Amino acid sequence: MYPKMDEKDRLEILKDILFADEHEFEQRVSQRIEILEQTINERKNLSEKVDPIIEHQINEFKESIPETLGPAITETLKKEIRINKDAVVDALYPILGKLVKKYVAQEMKLLSEKMNSQLSFLSFFKRKFKSGVTGQNENEIMLGDLATASIQQVLLIEKDSGILKASYSKSDAMDEEMVSGMLTAIKSFVEDAFNQRNQELESIEYELYEIHLQSFATHYIAVVISGNYMLSAKNKLQDIIFDFYHSFMAMNLDLVFETKNAKKSIVPVPKSRIERELAKYFGNAKL
Amino acid sequence: MQSSKKIVVLGHFGVGKTSLIRRFVTDTFSDNYKVTIGVHITKKVVEISPDDTISLILWDLEGTDDIESIRNAYLLGTHGVVFVFDITRPSTFQHLNNDLKIVSSKIPNVPFLVVGNKTDLVAPSELKSVFDENNISVDFFTSAKTGDAVNDLFSKLANQLVSDA
Ligand SMILES: Nc1nc2c(ncn2[C@@H]2O[C@H](COP(=O)(O)OP(=O)(O)OP(=O)(O)O)[C@@H](O)[C@H]2O)c(=O)[nH]1
Ligand SMILES: [Mg+2]
Repeated sequence: MYPKMDEKDRLEILKDILFADEHEFEQRVSQRIEILEQTINERKNLSEKVDPIIEHQINEFKESIPETLGPAITETLKKEIRINKDAVVDALYPILGKLVKKYVAQEMKLLSEKMNSQLSFLSFFKRKFKSGVTGQNENEIMLGDLATASIQQVLLIEKDSGILKASYSKSDAMDEEMVSGMLTAIKSFVEDAFNQRNQELESIEYELYEIHLQSFATHYIAVVISGNYMLSAKNKLQDIIFDFYHSFMAMNLDLVFETKNAKKSIVPVPKSRIERELAKYFGNAKL
Repeated sequence: MQSSKKIVVLGHFGVGKTSLIRRFVTDTFSDNYKVTIGVHITKKVVEISPDDTISLILWDLEGTDDIESIRNAYLLGTHGVVFVFDITRPSTFQHLNNDLKIVSSKIPNVPFLVVGNKTDLVAPSELKSVFDENNISVDFFTSAKTGDAVNDLFSKLANQLVSDA
């Protein structure tokens, strides 16, 4: 049995929970943002991060080649790297950039999700964030990417077979046919394993991307999103998908019915037509 | 027009499903056995005629001794089946006809090839009596190791899929 509280006590406790940590929280957030900004804005910091990795690689390399030749090569390499540090950083940046970007993306996501529950911070965060970034460099572009969610790719996939019907894509980074198969396998596995008849897998996180899935009767749509994919973006995306469905997909029977068993033969929509429509609905969409 | 087809490759553990696909797609082989978990998907574009190609989306399923237990969800919408057994291990083909019956009841009316793999270890002719006794008919004898008959197998399947459509 807990001791009885009166109204005032309860209010106090509630106040403690709600406001006590606010100041501390604010400070922590601001610190983290500063650290993040530094990490990505200053190349110097980046190369400091690179150095231990290179060191480690060299050590591994040393171990793996014959002893006689080894030291000579590593020595030369070491010198080379020391002299041309910038060149090495440039060479590594595409690989490393991705890691840093993922790390930042993850941090940002955590931060902004916390902030969403504390609205007053949102404006503070935006202000702080804008003023922190100066100059035109790849890091800024990188951050620009992160700030807002954007649609990278849309796949219209046959639900059962996982065969890609049509797609819209901003870049040709991955083999869409294979990705469609994999997504379908993952989706099938999850839905099967949890044996949830009316529940469908809604999203998959993959590297830097979030893949949003929306099922219809015979097909499903997978939208690959980069950046900060939060609730508001998700709602907008769902609106776009349903708009696409009602204004286009539903009008084309082969996209919404099992055509194999149909009595009358149904003429399939040409792929090029679907791709035009996908581009129209998803290409310029703002999330 | 380029079309895509879903192919499932299935059979008991370690019969060489993954190795056959690897031989077909990247023309390589490894003695290292890495068990497939769940399903692994790869793709290969096959030329049917000078101006016609087909994409095979290959679903390499994890091996199982109990064919009945294969997840139905993996089999949905399949356009073609490759059933692989290991000619050096009778346990992988002693219930072959029963296994095939189960598979074709789950995936009816699609091209279906039965493949005896690892011919580099035993000559299929030495096993003829065993297969005859058990009433087993085999479409291809392959070796993922040497590459023997691997391309034939997949191009036969590809051609069947085209004439089907
Ligand atoms: N000698 C020989 N060995 C083979 C051949 N094909 C596969 N192997 C070996 O058999 C073992 C199993 O091959 P996998 O391709 O992984 O078999 P799998 O059917 O995919 O196995 P699971 O995924 O576990 O079901 C590996 O060690 C392969 O190197 C072959 O044609 N000849
Ligand atoms: Mg395997």
